[in-house]
Amino acid sequence: MTSLGGLGRPSLIAAGVLMLLAVGLSLWGALRHRPGPTEAGRRALTAAAAFVALATVALVSALFAHDFSLDYVASYSSRSLSRGYTLAALWGGMEGSLLFWTLLLCAFAALALRTTRTQPTALRAWTAVVLGGIASFFLLLLLAPANPFRMLTDVPADGTGLNPLLQSPGMMIHPPLLYTGLVGFSIPFAFGMAALATKDLEETWLKQTRRWTLFAWSALSIGIVLGGAWAYTELGWGGYWAWDAVENASFMPWLTSTAYLHSVVIQEKRKMFKVWNLSLILMTYVLAVFGTFLTRSGILSSIHTFTEGPIGKWFLPFLALMLIGGLGLIGARLDALKSRNRFDSLLSRESAFLANNVLFLAAAFAVLWGTIYPILAEAISGVRLAVGPPFFNAVFIPIGLALIALTGLGPLIAWRRMNPRSFARMIRLPLVMGTVAAVVSAAFGVRSAGALTAFALCAFTATAVIAEFVRGSRVHRSRENLGWLPALGHTIVRNRRRYGGYIVHLGVVLIVLGFTGSAFKIERSAHLAEGETMAVGDYTLRYEELVRGETDEKFIFQANIAASDGDEVTLLEPQRNLHKVQQQFQSEVAISTSPIEDLYVVVTAVDPDGAASIRAFVNPLTWWIWAGAAVMAMGMTVLLSEPATRTAPAPSPAAVRRPAVVTR
Amino acid sequence: MQAAPTGADRKRRAKFAIGGGVILLSLVALVSWAMLRPNSTSFFYTPTEVIELAAAPGGEEYRVNGKVLPDTVSSEGLTTKFEISDGKTQMPLTTDQPLPDAFWTAMANDSSEVEVVARGRYDGETFVASEVLAKCPSKFKAKTAA
Repeated sequence: MTSLGGLGRPSLIAAGVLMLLAVGLSLWGALRHRPGPTEAGRRALTAAAAFVALATVALVSALFAHDFSLDYVASYSSRSLSRGYTLAALWGGMEGSLLFWTLLLCAFAALALRTTRTQPTALRAWTAVVLGGIASFFLLLLLAPANPFRMLTDVPADGTGLNPLLQSPGMMIHPPLLYTGLVGFSIPFAFGMAALATKDLEETWLKQTRRWTLFAWSALSIGIVLGGAWAYTELGWGGYWAWDAVENASFMPWLTSTAYLHSVVIQEKRKMFKVWNLSLILMTYVLAVFGTFLTRSGILSSIHTFTEGPIGKWFLPFLALMLIGGLGLIGARLDALKSRNRFDSLLSRESAFLANNVLFLAAAFAVLWGTIYPILAEAISGVRLAVGPPFFNAVFIPIGLALIALTGLGPLIAWRRMNPRSFARMIRLPLVMGTVAAVVSAAFGVRSAGALTAFALCAFTATAVIAEFVRGSRVHRSRENLGWLPALGHTIVRNRRRYGGYIVHLGVVLIVLGFTGSAFKIERSAHLAEGETMAVGDYTLRYEELVRGETDEKFIFQANIAASDGDEVTLLEPQRNLHKVQQQFQSEVAISTSPIEDLYVVVTAVDPDGAASIRAFVNPLTWWIWAGAAVMAMGMTVLLSEPATRTAPAPSPAAVRRPAVVTR
Repeated sequence: MQAAPTGADRKRRAKFAIGGGVILLSLVALVSWAMLRPNSTSFFYTPTEVIELAAAPGGEEYRVNGKVLPDTVSSEGLTTKFEISDGKTQMPLTTDQPLPDAFWTAMANDSSEVEVVARGRYDGETFVASEVLAKCPSKFKAKTAA
């Protein structure tokens, strides 16, 4: 393959020029309400996107051609790197990951503007101004401080290679998904800001961006879970989430966007919460960019600072502009954003949604607090400190449990005002199941109050959600004379938004079940000679022998361990490898997984005489996290498969009894 | 059209203000409680500061960072010992926790430039660490623009 590296920088310059042109034309179209310049602006933006794509192709071809005259290629790839990971090197370093980010942004912007051609000119033009402005900023970064096409004067014979930590299947998917999610939110953000600029604050912008929001949120959710899976299988400390600053940086926009996803439902159905929704999408976007900034600024040390670089100072003015501009626009339009409807009752679906939002925002605030507190403390009083997992767990366990309870309660409460008697009837079975779950767990020896509550709430919510499917299927079954399974299918397909959402909720319940298992985690370490044994939980681990090996890339030290739980023996083969090019030690974890518990074994050191330090964990219920994520992904697929033209279903008949609108 | 606020409006607004206040207060209470729990926050010190503080050792764990003196590293079984320095003061450190791969990688690459952050307590002679983190090898970080 020949390297097209030389094309990279000219393409980026062309993209930058076209993007500025797009912003100018769109601004003209927006201010004068002219369709001509607006369409020209859109075309310029699309052309800019094409040039960014060309620049990306240039960098990828240089990676595959081992064109080490490019600093980036020499720093993040090598001749011995496999093809898949050579592609992953595109996002393995700061410059490449920014290029990839910009590519996604431009592609999404071009697509979103193309698919909304029937929308009002002003809305589209302002959207193009916002998106083009953001893209111009990223192109500026790529042209000045983060140039992926910097040339080397001394061309090395081989590259440094990709950090072996990043050489894992999870790393092929986790960053692109995360980026897709974070960048995807720029579309609803841009439409929201454009709606503010045009003063057309009806629900047009929401309807146009619903699928984008869902898409971005789904990608971010799965991306975060895959990040956890990567940490679990690669890093060898037995956990999947460390409340590391960069994990938090991806989690904060997830929290605010989840709040947004729920509160837009209220705006669509009841035309309430307009300011709230615009503020949420603004917050989500600012937090998404803040996350990108944190990862690259070097102000935090973290496992994720692979992409660290000198571009931090460029982000601060950009973030400030977003935040101040966005808040200013919302403030200037407060009058037009007044909702026409009011809360009718405290016991209504609306207030359940509001409670959901309060909890998600409280969670986001707590994570933000814990993440930036060390920075603030050092800036203000010069004290250097760290905020650790105990803080985050202490805040999150109560908020998370309340959210799970609400997930179960929500479907039981009607819109507007609910009938206490029907509520009492519907909550009976979930309450019984929750109590049964608590009693059974207690009988099995669970004594932790937090875990008992979690198990009870998981059962409560799962029952409440499953009951919704049963109720829906029963209607279809009797009305259309179907079997249970086809009736269930019809229920889901006919109202994908509602039941897709419930499937996601079931996934969340399973994930919480998995989290709860970590309360019963067991960890043991031992230094063993060959033939010696150690105990962890109910398992006896016998270190049979050390097997040495060598490949082109690494020296392998594999500990063969026979794990016995009394009747069954499993052979585990954790490795501790030394990668030659990087001179880097890398543990390969061995996991024997089941829905009940994972046995997780790591070799942390190997002596010349064959003795090894073994660290072993029993992680109960962790399997359910990944299973829950799969269920969530199914729900997301159902949600995203909803035909674009379909409008939101009308509120249930029970809700339309009273006059619907209270105007002020 | 903006109608003049009625009594019901005012009552509703008061309800929202009280509700919002209660929510905000509970959040502040939750966050403060969580911050004050043991090991939620831990201070960073230099070896010099740790040795000055040793006169009054607290119950809380704290973090200390410094450069590893490469010739002092020794392991036996699960225990690893080495000395760290902030340029002024040397302090012995011991841990029975496995050291991260990044530590050994950094030692293998350039043993004179290994920096660690350790969490634990000083017993008057030695820093007993319950966790040791090593800074990632520098060659994987982006080079600063020339």
